[in-house]
Amino acid sequence: MSEARVFFNFAVTADSHRLPAYRDRRGYGALEKALREMAPAAVEAEVKASGLRGRGGAGFPTGMKWSFVDRKSPVVYLCCNADEGEPGTFKDRWIFENASHQLIEGVLLASYALGVRHAFIYLRGEFDLPYRRLCEALAEARGAGLVGERILGSSFSCDIIAHRGAGAYVCGEESSLLTSLEGFKGYPRNKPPFPAVKGLYQAPTVINNVETLATIPWIIARGGTAYASIGAEKNSGTRLFGISGHVNKPGLYERPTGYPLKRIIFDDAGGVRGGKGLKAVIPGGSSTPVLTAAEIDGITLDAESVQAAGSMLGSGGIIVVAEGTCMVRLLRVLTRFYAHESCGQCTPCREGSAWMDEIVGRICAGKGEEGDLERLEGITRGIMGNTVCALGDAASMPVASFIQKFRDEFAYFIKYGRSMHAGRLEV
Amino acid sequence: MIELKIDNQTVEANEGETVLQAALRSGIEIPHFCYHPCLSVAGNCRICLVKVDGRPKLVPSCNLPVAPGMTVETDTEDVRAARRAVMQFITLNHPGDCGICDKAGECRLQDYHVRYGEEESHSREPKHHRPKFSDLSPRIVLDNERCLLCSRCVRFTREVSGSHQLGIVERGSHARVERLEGRPFDDPYSDNVIGLCPTGALLSRDFLYKSRVWYLEPVRSVCTGCARCCSVNVWRRQREWHVRALGAELNRAAYRVTPFENPAINGPWLCNKGFDLHRRMARKRALTPLIGGREATAEEAVQEAKRLFAAAGNPAVLAFAPASNEELAAFRDGLGRRVQVYTREDYHTEPGEVAEDDFLIRGDKNPASYSIRALFGNRPYAPAARHDLVVIWGERVDYHALGGAKLIHLASFEPAGETAADLLIPVSTTFERSGTFTNFEGKVNRFEKVFDKPAQVLHAGDLFGRLVP
Repeated sequence: MSEARVFFNFAVTADSHRLPAYRDRRGYGALEKALREMAPAAVEAEVKASGLRGRGGAGFPTGMKWSFVDRKSPVVYLCCNADEGEPGTFKDRWIFENASHQLIEGVLLASYALGVRHAFIYLRGEFDLPYRRLCEALAEARGAGLVGERILGSSFSCDIIAHRGAGAYVCGEESSLLTSLEGFKGYPRNKPPFPAVKGLYQAPTVINNVETLATIPWIIARGGTAYASIGAEKNSGTRLFGISGHVNKPGLYERPTGYPLKRIIFDDAGGVRGGKGLKAVIPGGSSTPVLTAAEIDGITLDAESVQAAGSMLGSGGIIVVAEGTCMVRLLRVLTRFYAHESCGQCTPCREGSAWMDEIVGRICAGKGEEGDLERLEGITRGIMGNTVCALGDAASMPVASFIQKFRDEFAYFIKYGRSMHAGRLEV
Repeated sequence: MIELKIDNQTVEANEGETVLQAALRSGIEIPHFCYHPCLSVAGNCRICLVKVDGRPKLVPSCNLPVAPGMTVETDTEDVRAARRAVMQFITLNHPGDCGICDKAGECRLQDYHVRYGEEESHSREPKHHRPKFSDLSPRIVLDNERCLLCSRCVRFTREVSGSHQLGIVERGSHARVERLEGRPFDDPYSDNVIGLCPTGALLSRDFLYKSRVWYLEPVRSVCTGCARCCSVNVWRRQREWHVRALGAELNRAAYRVTPFENPAINGPWLCNKGFDLHRRMARKRALTPLIGGREATAEEAVQEAKRLFAAAGNPAVLAFAPASNEELAAFRDGLGRRVQVYTREDYHTEPGEVAEDDFLIRGDKNPASYSIRALFGNRPYAPAARHDLVVIWGERVDYHALGGAKLIHLASFEPAGETAADLLIPVSTTFERSGTFTNFEGKVNRFEKVFDKPAQVLHAGDLFGRLVP
C-alpha cells in the first residue's frame, strides 16, 4: 500500500497553516513551476493524466469538466465549492483550517489552466474559523505577490474572492451556488445551459470542490502519472474520508482510493463503539443509500465498488451505525434535515420532502398507519429524477433504502407504536 | 426548420424553440403550470415532464431545446406516473376549496387535476394552513394556501412590469409569495397577475364573489383609457343564465374586464386602468334626452336638434368623444361638411394615475385622437368666431367657456354639475355598439357590441345623417 499523502503530510501545529510553514513544505512550488515552465494547456494535460475525479460527490473527471469550457470566451470564472453541508462530511473544513494555502495554490493553478482572472471561493455560512483562516491566508498570499496582479512576476493575474453563504445546504449544488453568488435566492438552475456554457454572470464557469482543487498542486509538482499510480483503477489518488457515528475514533482519514471499507472502520477508526456489532453504514454522506453490515463485505473505497453494492461514495463522509440503533428514528433525523433544506423551488422536492418527514415523524410518534411504507415509497418514486437538482434524489434515497433494508423495523414501529429498539442506545 | 417526432407525429420547429412550444403549436397538449410564453422559463412545476429517447430521466419539456431527429413521448406510462405524482404533490396542501373560489371554472389546477391527477390524494396528513385572503393591494387578494409557487406572478413583476414588487420568501414547504415589505403591491400593471395565476391564489377584489365564471362570456372590446387602444374582453352574463326576476340589472352589467391577447398592440397584458374599464363605464349614464332641462323622447330631441340647426347661422361642432372610426366617418360625411369643426381632448391624466410609461400606458388619454386629428386636424375652439350654436360631442366641457351660443350636448354620461345645455342627447358608449378605433401608432382595433343600447339613447353615428336637411 502506497503511503502517499496529499493532505496529511505535515504535523499540525499552531503555525502550520501559515504561509512560512506552507513554504517550508515546498508550498507554492507547483505554482512557480507552472508559471515558469508550463503552458496553461500543459497544466490541464497533467490534471487529465492524473485521472483526478471531483471530490464533491458526483465524481466527475476534473480534466474533462475543464475541457467543456469555451476558451474563446472573453471571461471564464472558477468557483470553488466550499459549501460543505452534507451531514457526515467535514473534509473541506479541515483543509481550510490547516491548509488554506494549498487550496489557494490549487485555485491559482486551475485559474492559470483555464484563463481565469477572478476566482471565487464559496464557503458555507456556518464556517467561521475556516473563513477566518482562508482570509488570513489570502492576505498573506496577496502580500507575497501570490494572488493579484502579475503573480510571481509572470504575466498571469488572478484575484480570489472569498464569499460566505447564508446557511443553505442547497447552495452546495453547483448552479444554486452560482445563483447565490450572484446575489439571488439560492435556487438551482435548470440545465441546459450547463455552467460550463453559461454559469456565473452568464459566463462559462468551472465549479470544483475544495478537495479537488487542493489536490492539484500535488499533481503539478509530482506529475499526473504519479498521481494516477496511487489508488484504485479509474479512481486515482487519495481521498479524505470523514468517519462519524458509532466508532471509537471518529475523524478524518486520508486513504488511497480502493482502500477496504471494513478496514477503515475496524482498524483505522477503531471499530464500533462499546464493542457493539455493526448494523449499517452510510458510505458517502447522508444522502447516499444506506448499506447493511452484510453488504459492506468486500467493498473498497472507490466509486465503482460502492456503486456495485448499490450506494455511492459521494463526498466520502462515512456514517457508522451500531447494532441497537433505531433506524426509524435515525431516518427521521435525515428526513427532517432534507425537509428543512429543500429550497422550495420545484414541486416534487418542496412538497415531497416535507411530506416524507411528516409521515416518518408520525411513525416515530407511534401513530404510524398501515400503508405508510408504501406511501413513502410512492413519494420517493415521485421525487426521484423529477426535480430541478439532485436535492430531491438526496432526500429520497435515504428513505427508499432505509425502508428497503430495514422494513421489519418500520413495520414493527407502525404495528406496535414503538421502536424495536426502545430506550437510548448505550455506547 | 428542425424536424422532430412528438408522439409519433412529425413536428416542425424553429431553431431555439423548446419541445413544449413546438408541441403546443402543433396541437399536442403537454400540461404546464409555470411556463408562460411571455415569461422566462422557470421549470419549477415539473408537470411538463416528457420522455426523450435516449435519456434516462424524464425531462421538463419547457426547458428542452428541440434537436433534429429527437423523439419525444408525452403519454407513456412513466410520464403519466410522473404527472400523477406531481399532481399529488401540488394538491397535497391545496385546500380544495373550489366551491368558494372565484377561479373555479377557469382554473388550470382544477382542469389538470381532472385530466392528469387520475387518483385521490394519498395523503393521510392534515393540510398545512397558510394565510388566506391577505390583501396584496386594494385590488388583489392573495391566498397562499391555493398557491402552487409557479412564480409566474413574481416573474411578471420582474420581467414585464419591472416593479419587482413580488417575491417568494422562506424555503421548502414554507415558501410563499409575498409582496415587498411595507408597501402594497401598487404596480400599475398588477392585475395581470390575476390572470397569470394558474390557480385561485391571486384574485381580483373587484370581481370577488360577483359571479361564477361559467355564467359569463367574454366579448372582445377595446379599452378607451388611452391612445394605446388595448384589446380587452368584457365579461357579460350569458343569455341562458340571464336573471329573470330580481336583479335584472345584472343582465346588463359588465362583470370584469380582462386582456384580450393582441400581439400587435398589447400582447396578453393590460394596465390596471384597463382592468377598471367596466367601472369607468358604470358611471352615471345620460339616459334621457333633455330639452331645456325637460325630459323628452329621443324623437323629440332629434326634432329639436333639427330646429336649432335650421335656426343657426354659424354652427360649430366640438368633437372629441371616444368616437369610433365609423362614427367619425359618418360625422364627416353628414354634418361635418356644413359646420365648423373644432377638436379638443376630453380626458387628461388624473391624480394618482400613471401619466405615461415605456410599456403600454400613453400620455394621451383619448382613444380616438389619431382618427380625429387625421380627419379634422388639431383645431382648438375659437370663441372669437362667435358661433351661435355649438354641438358638444364628448365629455367634460365647461359650457361657460363657449360664450353665449346655444348648446347641443351629445353625451354618454351625465354631465357634471348644472345641465345648462339647451339640448342634451344621450349617445351610446363603446359597450353598446361595435366599430373600430385607430390607436396612436395607426393600428386599427375592433370592438364588438356588449349590450344593446337603452331605448332613449341614440348612436351618434345615426344622428348626424338625420340632422342634415
